[in-house]
Amino acid sequence: MSNNEKLLIDVGSTYFKVSTPGKIEQHFRDFNKDILDDLMSKCDNSISRFNKEDVFICSSANGGLSTLIIGITNSFSLKYATNIAFNAGINIIDTILYQDIQDASIPSDLIDVVIIVGGINSLGNIFSEELYNYLSKIQYSNIVFAGSEKDAALIQNNIEHLITLPNIIDSKLHIVEDHLREYLTNLYQKDIEGKRDIKNLYSITANQIYPTPYIVNKTLPLINARFSVANPFILLDIGGATTDIHYSKDLVDENIVTENQYDRMVFKKLGVYKSKQSLIFTAKNNEFVYELLMHLKVTENIFLEQSEKATKILMQLAIFLVLCKMSHYRQAYINLKLLAINSIVLTGGITKVLLKEDVEDIVSFFYRKILTSDHNPTTIMDTNYDIWTLAAEDN
Amino acid sequence: MKVVTGVVGNDIHVVANRLIDLSLQARGFEVFNLGVNTYLEEFFDAAVETGAEVLLISSLNGEAEGWGREVKLLKARYKNLDELIMMIGGNLTVGSGNAEDIVPKYKGYGFDLVCHQVDLNTGLDQLEEFIAQRKTQ
Ligand code: B12
Repeated sequence: MSNNEKLLIDVGSTYFKVSTPGKIEQHFRDFNKDILDDLMSKCDNSISRFNKEDVFICSSANGGLSTLIIGITNSFSLKYATNIAFNAGINIIDTILYQDIQDASIPSDLIDVVIIVGGINSLGNIFSEELYNYLSKIQYSNIVFAGSEKDAALIQNNIEHLITLPNIIDSKLHIVEDHLREYLTNLYQKDIEGKRDIKNLYSITANQIYPTPYIVNKTLPLINARFSVANPFILLDIGGATTDIHYSKDLVDENIVTENQYDRMVFKKLGVYKSKQSLIFTAKNNEFVYELLMHLKVTENIFLEQSEKATKILMQLAIFLVLCKMSHYRQAYINLKLLAINSIVLTGGITKVLLKEDVEDIVSFFYRKILTSDHNPTTIMDTNYDIWTLAAEDN
Repeated sequence: MKVVTGVVGNDIHVVANRLIDLSLQARGFEVFNLGVNTYLEEFFDAAVETGAEVLLISSLNGEAEGWGREVKLLKARYKNLDELIMMIGGNLTVGSGNAEDIVPKYKGYGFDLVCHQVDLNTGLDQLEEFIAQRKTQ
């Protein structure tokens, strides 16, 4: 089937995109309406022209699953499990270091899935009473253990409805992604399908609805089909609620060694609409931001404005802050070798607001100020949402 | 017996690290090699995840001193590492330095065995003696 016959829809937390042959529409969501009603009221003309078989939908709406990971170290079990969860498309991740579990706060919300990890298989007696005490105080829908084999039986006996998976850490202390990732992807899938809003969308499509980040990650190996991207690259998807970074594995010299070529990392509170306030908060706490505002010839009063210009500045700030967060040791859970990057690809709503020059300006400011380097990766703007259509078409 | 090893900090001198890995294995140790560019927290974290009894840190480029000073503070944050045997070796100062000054300093940082510019096999003999001694205690 040729691409031209397909209708592609991406439902985000803030806006949705509808791609028909030759044209891409983007609309803000109306939260008083069911997604389907909202969609039909804005794009009925485009949608009703297509057969259900030719409609492909992906969604990052409704936040996805919430996850609590309990692990025994930051550098291994927690980092590995977090990485796997991100790659399964999950955005909301909290972690607890097991040795501090007695003092850990008790989340009041229902957690979709609790993940317990830690230790290589030959290590036993890692978890004890403190774990069960903590679990008895929180509410969760699913719980999974993917830690040391030696502890599995004991834990299984102590926790009801526990799913046990093979250890995510192998005997050389390397990561094993597959089992946990598959489990989480399935859970995520079931969750999306279970949401009434999303369920209704099945009345216009005969195809499976996938999580958007999952789709984007799948496209990255194909990216050269549409762009001349020089490896290694990072892809920034700055959205309304979160900012997603997809990056090639060559950019981390980490103890994480996996089969996948690409990884994903999410900054929860760096979006330009839904999480605008926390973006501004983060900005005000960054010592270089005032210099950046000066460079952009605005003052901090811009944060109070509601204008196209203000949105533009916020988007530029988001790029800067994300790059900062990835550049300093230990601020993010993974740090990228930003001096080795040859391309930065931008996708999402940001490409409709910023010009390539606006992005390049920020990127070179970042390299000069933070990394004191003249390094200047090429900027690529995915203005037509090719990344997203590429993957959707590939399905 | 399990050993975690690696080269601390921003140090990328990899040759000794490979040799250490092989030599330890030849002596019957189970080795977890974190490679070059390893931060202190990763060493301790690896000891926790593996249940290693020995931590063997290398430093070649002269930055050991700075990391050494952090050891006690960081290790104190862990609840189960009191028994961990701590060893460091390589070039433990900038320039040549002399062992009489360097060894006591690193012992003060919390290392049990300090091998400044000591040949690897000599150092590993010392480690095995230390382990044997500890067992008889
Ligand atoms: C090759 C080399 C490099 C290569 C490294 C390539 C690589 N990826 O491995 C390159 C060119 C990249 C390099 C870079 C630098 N290097 Co260089 N490098 C060397 C050199 C010539 C050989 C190192 C080597 O591989 N030796 C062979 C191995 C087998 O020997 P070894 O490393 O000494 O290890 C033995 C012992 O130390 C011991 N050992 C090591 N760890 C431990 C641990 C324990 C517990 C025990 C018991 C024993 C032990 O066992 C080993 C076998 O016996 C040495 C000089 C020299 N001749 O030693 C300098 C040297 C190590 N480098 C040095 C410096 C300063 C640098 C740079 C800072 C230079 C610069 N200004 O850019 C950078 C630092 C880069 C970084 N981020 O770490 C200095 C360090 C000086 C200091 N400590 O005061 C040295 C000593 C040169 C000198 N005399 O000035 N370097």
